[in-house]
Amino acid sequence: MNELAGRFMAIPDILSASPIFAIGLTLSAFFAGNWLFSRLGKPLWMPPVVLSAVMLAAVIAVFSLDYVRYQEGALWITVLLGPATVALGIPLYQQIHHIRAMWKPIVVTLPLAATMAAVYAVVIAWAMGATPEVLASLAPKSVTAPIAIGITEQLGGSVPLMMGGLLITGVVAALFVDLLAQWLKIDDERIVGFALGLNGHAIGTARAFEISHTAGAFASLGMGLTGVFTALILPLVFRL
Amino acid sequence: MSMLRGFLILVLFFLFGEALRLVFLIPVSGGVLGMILMTLTLMLRGRVSDALASASQALVSVLVLLIMPGVVGVFFMASQFSGQWLAVSAALLLGTFLSVLTTLLLMKQMVRLSARSRTHE
Repeated sequence: MNELAGRFMAIPDILSASPIFAIGLTLSAFFAGNWLFSRLGKPLWMPPVVLSAVMLAAVIAVFSLDYVRYQEGALWITVLLGPATVALGIPLYQQIHHIRAMWKPIVVTLPLAATMAAVYAVVIAWAMGATPEVLASLAPKSVTAPIAIGITEQLGGSVPLMMGGLLITGVVAALFVDLLAQWLKIDDERIVGFALGLNGHAIGTARAFEISHTAGAFASLGMGLTGVFTALILPLVFRL
Repeated sequence: MSMLRGFLILVLFFLFGEALRLVFLIPVSGGVLGMILMTLTLMLRGRVSDALASASQALVSVLVLLIMPGVVGVFFMASQFSGQWLAVSAALLLGTFLSVLTTLLLMKQMVRLSARSRTHE
């Protein structure tokens, strides 16, 4: 009987060594987060990604699972982010006629807005006495994760802090775009989508696809262009 | 089967993007390079195959799932930045508010301007 109990107790440790455990955990949290989100009446300030992440973190903490091991297993999910980014090229192509019609506003807005997204954050943090390492972690806050990791490493920032900033930025950008678009009486889905992708990277883009296909395509465009532009400009600016 | 074929095309474009990044030392991720190449290729071909469309739709719809493991890391961050939380939160909240406002105002103004110039032409 003791043997049986012993074997039973060893189960979490053995199972969590396999990536399929991390995959199961992440998928469960994803569906639980979406379920809770609809139960709460789809609040804008509490998107499913936050609900899911909090639940996932709670499970990892409560069962004192090894976080590093979880990350290793979850790599099976996160590697798909690469092909998923490529996949954004398809809605982009399908909406190309909308984008062609808007190329002038986009060309003017993008460099200014993408630069200001980094400048506002860095200046505010600097004025409040943040260290250079923190500043370097905050600078790419509006850039999609795979590019932002590269930028932060190049600037000498902390990747976990940057990821935290990225999450908060994505969530509040989605919230602010909704609020400010209403306030400024902007109902053009192209503008709303572009602002979501430019400021809120993948989280903003996910939100834009909830609005419409057009908004999603413009968000993909905004996210991609901001990523490319920031990656090229920020290392140059930071050296000054 | 058809969706897997589409997935393979996405993976190949991603790998090609990564290869370009590594060879030419481009500071942009392979995914974004792949996305740009994908858009350009489709513009040249003039159509999207069903396989590619369904694979893309499947991946884009679970974008949130894919970023979740990274997001969870926030809760396990070392407290090496204690004392700077106020600066960090202010920068993120106020900074994002200002940049969203800037983007929306600029876009709105520019769209209005270009619409006006079109009617004048």
